[in-house]
Amino acid sequence: MADAQYDSALDLLRRLNPRDTKKNLQAITSIVPDLTEDLLSSVDQPLEIRRCPKTRRDYLLCDYNRDGDSYRSPWSNEFDPPLEDGTVPSERVRKLELAANEAFDVYRELYYEGGVGSVYFWDLDDGFAGVILLKKGVSPGGKNSGEWDSIHVFEASDRGRTAGYKLTSTVILHLTNETDALGEMDLSGNMTRQIQVDLPVTSDVSHVANVGKLVEDMELKMRNLLQEVYFGKAKDVVGELRSLAPLSEANRDRATQQEMIRSLQR
Amino acid sequence: MASTVELASSFIEGAPPGELADVVADIKSLTSDGDHLISSLEPAFERYNETQLATVKLPGASQEVIVSNFNKLEGNRYFDVESQTSFEVDHVTQEASAAQSYVLESQNADLIKSLLKALSAHALEHYPSSSYGVYPIENDSAVAILLVANRYSPNNFWNGRFRSIYQVPVGDSATITGKIHVDVHYYEDGNVSLNTTKSVSISVPNGSGESIISRIATAERNYQEELNKGFGQMAEGSFKSLRRQLPITRQKVEWEKVGGYRLGQDISGGKGR
Repeated sequence: MADAQYDSALDLLRRLNPRDTKKNLQAITSIVPDLTEDLLSSVDQPLEIRRCPKTRRDYLLCDYNRDGDSYRSPWSNEFDPPLEDGTVPSERVRKLELAANEAFDVYRELYYEGGVGSVYFWDLDDGFAGVILLKKGVSPGGKNSGEWDSIHVFEASDRGRTAGYKLTSTVILHLTNETDALGEMDLSGNMTRQIQVDLPVTSDVSHVANVGKLVEDMELKMRNLLQEVYFGKAKDVVGELRSLAPLSEANRDRATQQEMIRSLQR
Repeated sequence: MASTVELASSFIEGAPPGELADVVADIKSLTSDGDHLISSLEPAFERYNETQLATVKLPGASQEVIVSNFNKLEGNRYFDVESQTSFEVDHVTQEASAAQSYVLESQNADLIKSLLKALSAHALEHYPSSSYGVYPIENDSAVAILLVANRYSPNNFWNGRFRSIYQVPVGDSATITGKIHVDVHYYEDGNVSLNTTKSVSISVPNGSGESIISRIATAERNYQEELNKGFGQMAEGSFKSLRRQLPITRQKVEWEKVGGYRLGQDISGGKGR
């Protein structure tokens, strides 16, 4: 029953307007409170920004740096509001986390030319896992606005000279455009992709480079996919609903074309 | 806190084109009291059907007719001018029954018929699959002109709906006011939704059926062209300025350098620059 409810909740969230995911998630968990934990950890929502009180740098909030009502800053490794026994990564994994934050800061500047990023790592029995978060907005709330949220969750399993990586990536992309001639146009949503690969590891340095390349390749793929779906597929469906060219003309053209093909085949 | 009925009603009214049955199945599965709940959601189904211009098949006919608050009679009955039929709608199942002959009583019957004739030709010319209707409104002082075009392709994970709703006061010169809505849902490996609203206001010097529909046809064509441009503007504007396809150097990141640099040295804690 619980599994069926969980599946139905995910199906419902996949159908209802992606702009309203937060509101709909609250509605579902208010109807079925038992699903709250599972849904909060599996449904991606636009990321919130908070300023680290110690370093005065912005970081992103998600379920993976949350402990109770506090969030851990990747820059200071401290919780806000402060927690005495908040869960922090082991020393080795924290070193990796710091290196990854620095590397993805470079990545963010190169690809996003702004925005906010945060990387969180945590220990697993046979390795470690992490999440890479990137967020950028252009004129949020304005008439011509855009908001991009990337959420990359990975697990790395140590296997001696190689490591197995499993990466699940979601990009949430909200776009709006409003002019007198156009009226209001809202094109919003999210897409998710997964990959699994084994890559060579010589030292911990390799992990950051491996995860970096995986995320970089994945974001390139997803950017192309989003471009295709948002500006290709969605526009094509509009064309399926309404034909700019008169249909009688289109049908006549098609008939003429078929006639030509037939005559060429003769 | 909102009740289950209120929350489930918002799900019903938020159902994307062609996916109402899927949303209903999810609601049933989420709530233990499924069937009983669904019957108390009837007002939400009714609002959904009338707002979305739901179409129903008349008993024994193949054509689909519109359900809206412009052609509503008593109770759950609605009428269609073209087929001269009134019918009852089960809002939950979207099925029509109890069809009866219906004769339009309106002093603008001739205008409505000429509008229907012109609208029918317009619909056939630009909408591969559509339903439409023209009804007298506001004590017969105006007419409502509706068109809805649906294309559902659940096997390919997309569905779409085009709606246009106009009102025209009857008279020699008048202003057509209305709205065009386009809703597209794409949900393969994700959930992407296009929702548009365009307000229309066009003055017509002569209030004949043909000239009204001809103005509407022009407005709809112009809108589709603007919308197509809108996709291009988003792709070239916001989308590009959110994330580059490649860094300005056209080189991918040298991860061994940026990631290895600090790990190779002693990190004594604290953040780098």
